[in-house]
Amino acid sequence: MQPLSVKTVFQKLSHWGLLWAVLYGLMNILSNQLTLPAAPAIAIRPQVALPMIIGFFYGPLPGFVTGFLGNMIGDVLYGYGIGQFWNWHIANGLMGLVPGLAAMLAGIKVMKTVRDFGIIEAAVVVSCAVAVGVAVCLDLLFIHLMKFPESFNAWILPAFIFNAVSGFILVPVFFLLARRVVITLETRTILTITSLLVVAILSTSITITWAMHDDLTSYNALVNAIYFAGIVSVIMVIIGFASSIYFVKRITGPVTLLTEAAVSVEKGEYDLESIQPVSRRTDELGQLSRVLQNMAGEVYQREQTLKKQVEQLQIRIDRKKMDQDVADIVGTDYFQDLREKVKEFRKK
Amino acid sequence: MAKIISIHSFRGGTGKSNTAANIAALLAGGGKKTGVVDTDIQSPGIHVLFGIDQAAIKYTLNDFLWGKCEIRHASYDMSQAQGIAPPGKLFLIPSSVKTGDIARVLHYGYDVNLLREGFQRLIDELALDYLLIDTHPGLNEETLLSIALSDVLIIVLRPDQQDYQGSAVTVEVSRQLEVPSLLLLVNKVPSILNMDDLKQKVEKTYNCPVAGLIPHSEEMMVLASSGIFALHYPHHPVTELYRRVADMLTA
Repeated sequence: MQPLSVKTVFQKLSHWGLLWAVLYGLMNILSNQLTLPAAPAIAIRPQVALPMIIGFFYGPLPGFVTGFLGNMIGDVLYGYGIGQFWNWHIANGLMGLVPGLAAMLAGIKVMKTVRDFGIIEAAVVVSCAVAVGVAVCLDLLFIHLMKFPESFNAWILPAFIFNAVSGFILVPVFFLLARRVVITLETRTILTITSLLVVAILSTSITITWAMHDDLTSYNALVNAIYFAGIVSVIMVIIGFASSIYFVKRITGPVTLLTEAAVSVEKGEYDLESIQPVSRRTDELGQLSRVLQNMAGEVYQREQTLKKQVEQLQIRIDRKKMDQDVADIVGTDYFQDLREKVKEFRKK
Repeated sequence: MAKIISIHSFRGGTGKSNTAANIAALLAGGGKKTGVVDTDIQSPGIHVLFGIDQAAIKYTLNDFLWGKCEIRHASYDMSQAQGIAPPGKLFLIPSSVKTGDIARVLHYGYDVNLLREGFQRLIDELALDYLLIDTHPGLNEETLLSIALSDVLIIVLRPDQQDYQGSAVTVEVSRQLEVPSLLLLVNKVPSILNMDDLKQKVEKTYNCPVAGLIPHSEEMMVLASSGIFALHYPHHPVTELYRRVADMLTA
């Protein structure tokens, strides 16, 4: 057996989700201080993306371990004890298990297409729903701590929404950070559109939450809140509009350049220096651009070869120059003498 | 009656020496007694193709032209070295590669008439059927003499404008010297050219038969300066093209 070095132990622990579980537990402690204004019982927990990510990257079991064990560690450190909310350990574990299963079944290791993106995001939302559902069922069956419908409205539904939104936003970010996104036109576009969408939704929700923070019972407070929301909306529209233009240009700009280049090739101009910046891209447009450049180069070569071929087939003889050259040789005494001698020689 | 065949090209680098060596080898291989004279005294080269040992060369064409020896002393029987079976014979009359000898020719020249005498004696003394003359490019005095003495003149050219123009001059001069048979050989033809079209155009332009078109061959380039292609690759298509030229000469 190979001796276990510190590095391999570390790798094995991380591979089974144990290290991540510890990290998750510590993050749970820290984030317990943050709460949503609308649902003070629910902690803001963006770290729910962690078990999901471990599920996607390492598989369903490490994902489950991270969520399950991590939640347990958090509870213990916070003073709840191991067994009090054991249904939530399972729920957190499921948030790692479901994405892991989805990735395994769909054969997704990296995000390459819109399909991959869709499956990943769907798995995130489904895992949150399954987690909450299972936690609620277990409570109804064994624990009997929740009160319906009060508990559901007060914190179960907000918890589900917040977890789903966190995962929805953060999981793609982690895919990008871990370089598990193949940058193609497809992934580039879907990530761009999704991020615009996310920014719009987030700004709206933050604005609403912020506005709701004040006591809205007086007329003036309500008007102020509406003004505030209006101003933020106008700013968001302007920023959104500007960034839309920027992203549209970024995606369609190269297409315009490529089209212009293709038109110039059609006209018989083969200098495709103009699309050199597009050729440096690593996505489909870059590939298209390189293919176009190579094709134009080849067409140009063939045309040159053809021209040369026609040139070589045309035998042009400058008669004037030829007559002059012949006269220079024939006019010499030596040549005249030689011609006479040869005549005699041939007679023999 | 022996035939004198001059191989000429207007410019250097057309593959003239290669053509001469290959045709000579095929004639000898066909049972003919064949001699090859390197009259390209200013830049000799054909001896390399025959792989002749420099140490074995005692006399050259230069020595004969300067009265130092008989022409038969400057001829070397290459039949055995090149695997030519009797009754075929292959003789080489090389030029000197010594820089001093070359400089002397460039400076003093030589008696051109002696060259004619030499050819005749070679034919008689070696009982040759064919004497091939590898000429110097251009149309200087000894080249004009070689052409004048020839029964057949093969003009080697590449398919480019400079060769087309120069060959036209050679064709016209040869007609004035009443050379009985003029043949054109288009060498180093790029594979992109249509051989049949080119042949037609060349024949029409010079009003003169084209003995063959030799494609630009990679194998030929490799072997070009180290051996006689037709003997190394007797069944290669290019060898077949040379053989057709040789057959035209014996017909």
